[in-house]
Amino acid sequence: MRQQTKERAATGRVQRGTVTKRQWITRWAGPENVVAVLVFVALFYVPYVVAGYPVFILPQYMLFGVLALTLCLLWGFGGMVSFGQGAFFAVGAYSFGIVLKHVDGSSAPWLGLLLGVVLGAAVAGGVGYFLFSANVRDSYFVLVTLAISTIVYVIANSQSGLTGGFNGMYVDRATFSVFGVLEISLTGDLAMYYVAFAVTLLAYLGFRFLQWSAFGQVLVSIRENEDRTRALGYNTAMYKTVAFAISGAVAGIAGGFYATDTGFVSPSLGGVLFSTSVVVWVAVGGRGYFIGALIGAIGISVLSNALNSLIPEYWQLILGVLFVIVIVFFRRGLIGSLLRLPQYVQGRRHEPAA
Amino acid sequence: MAAFLSLVIDIVSSTLVLALVSLGLGVVFGLVRVINMGHGAMLALGAYLTWAFSGAGVPFALAVVAATAGVAVVGLIFEALIIRHFYEQPFETLLISWGFYLVVTELIKIVWGSTLKNIRNPIPGTFSLGPAGIGRYEAMVCLVTILLLVAMGLMLYRTNVGVRVRAMIQNREMALMLGVNAPRMYRGVFVAGAAMAGLAGGLIAPMFSIEPDMGTLWLVRAFFVVTVGGLGAIVGGTLVGSALIGGATSIFALVSPQVFAQTVVFALAVVALRFRPVGILGRR
Repeated sequence: MRQQTKERAATGRVQRGTVTKRQWITRWAGPENVVAVLVFVALFYVPYVVAGYPVFILPQYMLFGVLALTLCLLWGFGGMVSFGQGAFFAVGAYSFGIVLKHVDGSSAPWLGLLLGVVLGAAVAGGVGYFLFSANVRDSYFVLVTLAISTIVYVIANSQSGLTGGFNGMYVDRATFSVFGVLEISLTGDLAMYYVAFAVTLLAYLGFRFLQWSAFGQVLVSIRENEDRTRALGYNTAMYKTVAFAISGAVAGIAGGFYATDTGFVSPSLGGVLFSTSVVVWVAVGGRGYFIGALIGAIGISVLSNALNSLIPEYWQLILGVLFVIVIVFFRRGLIGSLLRLPQYVQGRRHEPAA
Repeated sequence: MAAFLSLVIDIVSSTLVLALVSLGLGVVFGLVRVINMGHGAMLALGAYLTWAFSGAGVPFALAVVAATAGVAVVGLIFEALIIRHFYEQPFETLLISWGFYLVVTELIKIVWGSTLKNIRNPIPGTFSLGPAGIGRYEAMVCLVTILLLVAMGLMLYRTNVGVRVRAMIQNREMALMLGVNAPRMYRGVFVAGAAMAGLAGGLIAPMFSIEPDMGTLWLVRAFFVVTVGGLGAIVGGTLVGSALIGGATSIFALVSPQVFAQTVVFALAVVALRFRPVGILGRR
């Protein structure tokens, strides 16, 4: 194992020099990974501890968490704030619902997911390449993503023959058949829970892998200084496009599972307000860490659910105030700041995360 | 002929209404480089204050003035408390002003509720212009917009303050070095932007239904007006941007539903943004 780490270090991806056991431990058992393991273990055991409503509602929030991960990739690592992630989520949800309605047979759910992924990636990749190749960035990119979500909202609202329009669309719980051998029916809440859990875990691991990969490193370098990265010979427009396409595709998958989980797709998923609440989740959780974004999404959704019935009027206000406080004082977000605490205490001044 | 004339009237009035709504955003964006996502909430606040004042028996014109002042005060508080610490950090101000949007929208919901409100048209009736016509109130709003734009132009090009403001657009560092009082100037610009948003919200209130989230669509449209028109070209850019966005929407609305026309225009605006990021009248 240690040999492997050494080899990895020698490729220059991670860090040069020999790796001591202590360093190996701090690298793999750092606060981020510990928190991630704790979160996923806790999520895994939720159905063992409680039944009923939490098991019914948590899959939805985990899928919101996946959506937050897609924004975290763009924002925390690529430096691109998207106010339109909800649009890709909606595209995935509608694709799934429409395919399920019009296609019979056991492959329909897979086709629905596939359509969502392809459409999400195509829209994000197409728009992304169109803009990034002309060096449209920062605030202007925000503007365009706002436009994307407005456009998706309008289309979902107006094409009532396809999407159900303003009234939304009902979607059944799907049954996935794996190579005709295994049938996973999502009609039960428990099955749905563990499928959503698996999707979330895979998405998290995938994004973490992406972060470690050469691709992720280039993305961070673009965030830090795009012009310099381009001067080093990287096609930054292409990297940003691919990142945006990946985030669109994963948001599409999350949307597809969301559709079958909640059984209902509303055009407001594509709207500006839902997209911006994704921004709030990621900002409050912490944009520098995927686990921060995930906890932000799940945590705020759970709190919203609990407090919306308790103090319906003031909760959204509190959330707005919290958002401002986080942006002003805790730029890394609440979880992000907590994760930085050990390093802060030790007085280390590496400041890689934005 | 009648159809053509009414199309022209429609284009002119929608252009001017859009210009009215976008002006505050353009001023703040162009001069102090703050992307004020809270602009939509300021519009809604202006509309609600106008509704509340005129509901309390205040004459409509006075209610609009009071709403303008009210939103200006809210803008001043926001600037003094938070925004002034974040000038020159475009991303932070963008996010913070979105927080402002959330907070103000929720406060509106708490104070006035989420139900749709309506203000009775204060100047009913239409002017007939040959075969076509325009609502008296719409005509009045257009007139106010024109006056506002003229006043803005005069202020920018005929006064001492205008010289300083233009100097700040052209070369920020140099202007600051030559003694432009930056904090006061920034505050003035931000509050003026807020006041214009309040005024716009109050004036459009009788034409549309009033709801807490009414600002979001206007916000997106106003953003495109400002970017298509050109950053920093306050009067001309706002007019050109509004004419393109508003006019194109009116024309597309002839052949397709209104919402769909809006979508097409947004898509076209994205294309325009790609090929000319500084806008039609903007300078690099």
